[in-house]
Amino acid sequence: MVKERKIVCRCEDLTEEEIVHAIEEGYSDLESLKRYTGATTGACQGKGCLMHVVRILSQKTGKSPDEIGITTQRPPVNPVPLYILSEGDVE
Amino acid sequence: MKVGVVGAGVMGLSTAYFLSKSGIDVTVFEQKYLLYGASGRNSGGVSPMVDREELIPFALESLRLYDTLPSEVNFNFLFRKNGYIKLASDEGDAEKIREGVSVLRRFGISSKVISPEEVKEIIPDFNPDSAVLASYCREGGVIFPWPVVWGLARGCRENGVEIRTEARVEKIERNGSRFTVHVNGEKYEFDFVVNSAGAWSNEVSRMVGIEQNNMIIKEEVCVTESIKPYINPYIYDITSGLYVTQTARGEIIGGITGKSVDRIDTSSTVEFAVRYAKGVTRMIPKLKGLAMLRQWAGVYDEGRDGLPVVGFTEIDGFVQANGLGKHRGMMIAPALGKELAKLIERGENSAIKKFDPQRF
Ligand SMILES: Cc1cc2nc3c(=O)[nH]c(=O)nc-3n(C[C@H](O)[C@H](O)[C@H](O)COP(=O)(O)OP(=O)(O)OC[C@H]3O[C@@H](n4cnc5c(N)ncnc54)[C@H](O)[C@@H]3O)c2cc1C
Ligand code: FES
Repeated sequence: MVKERKIVCRCEDLTEEEIVHAIEEGYSDLESLKRYTGATTGACQGKGCLMHVVRILSQKTGKSPDEIGITTQRPPVNPVPLYILSEGDVE
Repeated sequence: MKVGVVGAGVMGLSTAYFLSKSGIDVTVFEQKYLLYGASGRNSGGVSPMVDREELIPFALESLRLYDTLPSEVNFNFLFRKNGYIKLASDEGDAEKIREGVSVLRRFGISSKVISPEEVKEIIPDFNPDSAVLASYCREGGVIFPWPVVWGLARGCRENGVEIRTEARVEKIERNGSRFTVHVNGEKYEFDFVVNSAGAWSNEVSRMVGIEQNNMIIKEEVCVTESIKPYINPYIYDITSGLYVTQTARGEIIGGITGKSVDRIDTSSTVEFAVRYAKGVTRMIPKLKGLAMLRQWAGVYDEGRDGLPVVGFTEIDGFVQANGLGKHRGMMIAPALGKELAKLIERGENSAIKKFDPQRF
């Protein structure tokens, strides 16, 4: 039987299996997991997958979503083209 | 012999790795997670074109180690060896570029002074009006810092090193000829304590009564969305401090070298985003249409005379492994860690005498 490919993070094309594997390798906190797998760091910056990743982490580690926490939001929240930024003022 | 290492950045992990390779019992403490420090936040430019002559042998040896370590620790560092370009955008810095190349030649490293038009031959969309002179070295390029940290950590663990994360060293007590290190309410005993706490090194030194006064530098960086391979070498404008390259994932990563700050601060600023966008779109105008996806900041330290601080202190057994300095920690840390491990094992190592913490 072909194994079902459950996609967790569309932007980075990551399956649930890959996330679980990384957790088993020891990347079992959210900050490490997102860096190791790339989950939540794609074009949508995790809007589409953060909650799935937190769920899997919670199931695997027994920690509550609150204990796992939400990863640091790095500005800008929406991608801004460089030509717009370059119009800004600095002294 | 038992060694406790404070800080799991590239410096602490390199030192731990080479110590453990000789069979020494090592424990590494990291206050947060792997990659929390500057080693997880930098742009990975590595080259023999380091700005202090004393450091060139260490940059060369580190580049060699970046070639051999991946198979030793079984981890791909995603090292893209497409060379390194330094730019000068004023006459004074153009002179520095010329000097830099002649120093490298003395070390037998092939590098050359090139005109802005020749930079354009390497990067077709480069704006030659944005620089007055450049230098190019084929060796080096861009390394992805995360697998360097993960790989060194894996190598350490295979050699029996214990790496404790979420383990902030809170207190260090002298206890006869040994040290008692306090972490999360637990106590550990060591013969040597290595301070590789990066920007936090001053704080760790203070725990044993040493006023170190390394400079603390904050630096901001950002990435754009991914595009197909477009910028191959690492480009660094020594006049403005602006640097840019492309990661193995295709994102354009770039920043501006940091400024000295009084306190540790990793906040991102709009001012940086604007300044960077202006500079980088002048250097490579076609980047205008790309969107900035993420920006962040990191902190690192530099010895007061601009050189690293690596070696024994007036407190027997307390060892410094910090102060690596601006834009070069990744370039020199593996070799420094290797030499420091020798110093700890043998009690002396003339190769790193210039970085002696007791020189101040
Ligand atoms: C934006 C940016 C871009 C850069 N670009 C480049 C580049 O292109 N090329 C280059 O060669 N270098 C670059 N650098 C510099 C390079 O990243 C650093 O020099 C290098 O990573 C420093 O390594 P380290 O191990 O000394 O410090 P760190 O990586 O900061 O490690 C120190 C660790 O100690 C931990 N720690 C602190 N206090 C304690 C405590 N009390 N108990 C336990 N743990 C503690 C910290 O959490 C941290 O993880 C850049 C730096 C930044 C910020
Ligand atoms: S779905 Fe994971 S980053 Fe977009």
